[in-house]
Amino acid sequence: MASSPRTGRSSPALVAVVIGAVLILGVIAMVVLGFDPVRVSQGVASSFFPPQAVTDRGEHIRQLYDLVFGIAVVIFFVVEGLIIWTVVRYRRKPGDDELPPQTHGNAIAEVVWTVVPTLIVAILFVASWLTLNTVDATSAQPQMKVRATAAQFLWSFEYLPNDYDPVTNKDAKPLLSITEPEGPDGGLTLPVGRTIHLYLQSPDVIHAFYVPQFLFKRDVVPGRTNSFEFTLKDEDVGGTFHGQCAELCGEGHNKMHFDVHAMTGADFDTWLQQKIAAANASPSPPPPQPSGGSTPPGQSGPPAAAPLSLVAQNIAYDKTELSAPANTPFQIQFDNQDASIPHNVAIHEGSPTGAELFKGEIFPGPAQKTYDVPPLKAGAYAFVCSVHPNMNGTLTVQ
Amino acid sequence: MATTALHPAARTYRSTLYEWVTTTDHKKIGVMYLINSFIFFFIGGLLALGVRSELAQPGLQFVTDQVYNELFTMHATFMIFLFIIPILAGFGNFIVPLHIGAPDVAFPRINALSLWLLPMAGLLLLLSFFTVQAPAAGWTSYSPLAQDRPLGSVGPGQDLWIVAVVLVGTSSILGAVNFLVTIFKMRAPGMTLFRMPIMVWTVLVTSVLGLLATPVLTSALIMLFIDRNYGGAFFDPRNGGDAILYQNVFWFYSHPAVYIMVLPAMGIISEVLPVFSRKPLFGYKAFVFATAAIGALGFSVWAHHMFTTGAVYLPFFSLMTFLIAVPTGVKMFNWIFTMWRGKLRLSTPLLFALGFLSMFLIGGINGAFSAAVPVDFALHDTYWVVAHLHYVLFGGSVFGVMAGLYYWFPKMTGRMLSEGLGKIQFVLMFIGFNLTFFPMHQLGLAGMPRRIADYSSTAGWNDLNLLATIGGFTIAASMVPLLWNIFVSLRSGKPAGDDPWEANTLEWATTSPPPPYNFDHLPEIRSERPLFDLRHGHAAPAATAVVPQSASTSH
Repeated sequence: MASSPRTGRSSPALVAVVIGAVLILGVIAMVVLGFDPVRVSQGVASSFFPPQAVTDRGEHIRQLYDLVFGIAVVIFFVVEGLIIWTVVRYRRKPGDDELPPQTHGNAIAEVVWTVVPTLIVAILFVASWLTLNTVDATSAQPQMKVRATAAQFLWSFEYLPNDYDPVTNKDAKPLLSITEPEGPDGGLTLPVGRTIHLYLQSPDVIHAFYVPQFLFKRDVVPGRTNSFEFTLKDEDVGGTFHGQCAELCGEGHNKMHFDVHAMTGADFDTWLQQKIAAANASPSPPPPQPSGGSTPPGQSGPPAAAPLSLVAQNIAYDKTELSAPANTPFQIQFDNQDASIPHNVAIHEGSPTGAELFKGEIFPGPAQKTYDVPPLKAGAYAFVCSVHPNMNGTLTVQ
Repeated sequence: MATTALHPAARTYRSTLYEWVTTTDHKKIGVMYLINSFIFFFIGGLLALGVRSELAQPGLQFVTDQVYNELFTMHATFMIFLFIIPILAGFGNFIVPLHIGAPDVAFPRINALSLWLLPMAGLLLLLSFFTVQAPAAGWTSYSPLAQDRPLGSVGPGQDLWIVAVVLVGTSSILGAVNFLVTIFKMRAPGMTLFRMPIMVWTVLVTSVLGLLATPVLTSALIMLFIDRNYGGAFFDPRNGGDAILYQNVFWFYSHPAVYIMVLPAMGIISEVLPVFSRKPLFGYKAFVFATAAIGALGFSVWAHHMFTTGAVYLPFFSLMTFLIAVPTGVKMFNWIFTMWRGKLRLSTPLLFALGFLSMFLIGGINGAFSAAVPVDFALHDTYWVVAHLHYVLFGGSVFGVMAGLYYWFPKMTGRMLSEGLGKIQFVLMFIGFNLTFFPMHQLGLAGMPRRIADYSSTAGWNDLNLLATIGGFTIAASMVPLLWNIFVSLRSGKPAGDDPWEANTLEWATTSPPPPYNFDHLPEIRSERPLFDLRHGHAAPAATAVVPQSASTSH
């Protein structure tokens, strides 16, 4: 290296030591004080923190977040402050053409700002590894097994028997299936305080199970059964937590919402027994709740006209036009041939985006259902799959 | 000017346009790289405005779900593959031969080929808008969503995307070979490796990354193409393929690509800071080793994009990701101490360099959150990640690009850009950038996933999204003073002279713009700052011994 004049050799070293000391002290302060300063500040800047966790695992993640956040804030203020101070302090005064000292570097300083960050990231790594082991731990005998299926573009949930296993007993018959992802009767209803093992499967593309209040997400990968465990906290009883697909899965990605409801263990057991009994009592009657209540179920006698038939295959209907008699109830025999993919038939006024007049139950294929459609006035309607708006056609009522 | 004597007195029949289109001069190619990149920067920017407009309020106001997916997919594709990567290659093209005292790159015709592949790729991407469905599977094009099937990626749009990205990759590979041979074989006498400007070192490491990683992406994309068109079984579980395999191969390129997108910007900053502080770079060798360390570690962190797939050995990738913070931190402190006790001239290039320092710092810090795997379980695929990547690629790379543009524009054109307009642009861009991307941290923490066209009005995300949209349009507004500045300066800017900044490196030892063969004569090279030595008497001016351009190798 060319030998340029070196002045102030001691001063950068001194400064480097000071900065290193500040970094170290900052970290020590965070560790010694626990994370109290951060906790205290939550009321002021709550949006710099994730939501309060509603699961035991989420609570650990939240603690790790607080640690990382504390260290990040210290580093941010020290380094950003150093930049600003340097710029303000050492800006050139007008008319000052003197050459500043030509410092080429300082070995001690380099060592300090290599070693100190290494120590910081070592602390962060160990902390996150320990947390990871807790978050990813699974028990040999979880108290409940549930499966979430993410299909374009609908979540459904199945309560599994305890002998279910994704490898040795993957075809075990579910105790109960819930095909409605949202609302008071839809979504994932779970007891607090029990270890829940959630299996994830997808028949089509990659999705992700994400509940912000779990502080957790896991991808739902076709060809692979992912799973994770969690326990809802006791104080969650009565709570509903919103979840959403977090991995781009196509056109309807932003519509893949679901709810998680928390109940006491006793309430849950009753709820589950009632649901199973109801499902067994009526294998496939007219859908339990075909519509939002605006359309009275067709309670008149058997419809006069022959039922219309409609098949869904490869995410398309086999027909683009249907016709039905006016002012009389009629039936649609709907055959969903797409394995694991949910479809239905809904009737909208005028166009597929018009007001919904009838919504048939959504169910995954291969299966068939017969929908009872209430009387419609003469006119042009659209029939459409609620899950896949691409699937649509025109219904002529005359 | 020294060049005039070499031009024939009579006008040739060849037009300027013909000259530029057929040129193999690395400087003209470099400038065309920049122009081409800026065109796609503006296209990508318009797409981003579409995204921000749609998200300003809940509900779908302007586009359908499908078009929204096309908007952000193409925004990222243009910005990454046709703006950031090529514009940094463009700066490298213009500056590397000048920095090492060479008359041109090693393979000038291959250099022209690398350039002209880029507009071709861009045209293919634009063409995809006229197919059944423009690419809408994200710039990552994960399988099976990118497969040709209903609700996936139907039609030839996705195929055009694959071909375009393969063309960009080919351009990168050719460029990397060219840079490596140029740097190792064409340095001027006295220009030892450890006297090369840091900019050249970053281009060197970037080229190694590009050479090793890009073929992996190319093979991934070819396999995806086979899956889509010839019934392959690589990545589609329906045919027995593996969806996770695609992610592994894709990120094996695309994470090192992040360093391809930021290292040369670090190189630009490492040139600008010493010049405007009037001090040497603090810790030159530390910079070299840190750059090499980032490049090496960059190959062992790809799976940190896949922490939530449940198919990754998490502790390893967590540790490696944390470790990358160390060499990056070394650079940060060396930059700051380059300014320490200096005499800072707050000209536009330095302002953008300071923008880089302060914003890239945030991009480094918020990245550490995701290195902590359990925290990433909460933040992955939310707006937090959108904030992080823009603090790195916009706060880092784009601010670096602007610093480089203001710094080297006088060398490229012979005219200065206006300082006043430059400062207006900086202030608008800095404010707009933070307005846009800082609220995204909070949106991500509040649980807003990325890549959604719509959100519920009761989710509590309305205000921050509106703020981000206002910020986005502020960034767009900051482009007006830039374009006006370039337009005015090209017509009537202040003549630059050879060395308007009192700079240190060889490009300022020749005319602005330099002659086709770059140097009439080279000063003696005895440190990484030959021009400083010349000014302050540590080196003899080379003017005493006139070195013809061809003699520099026979010296």
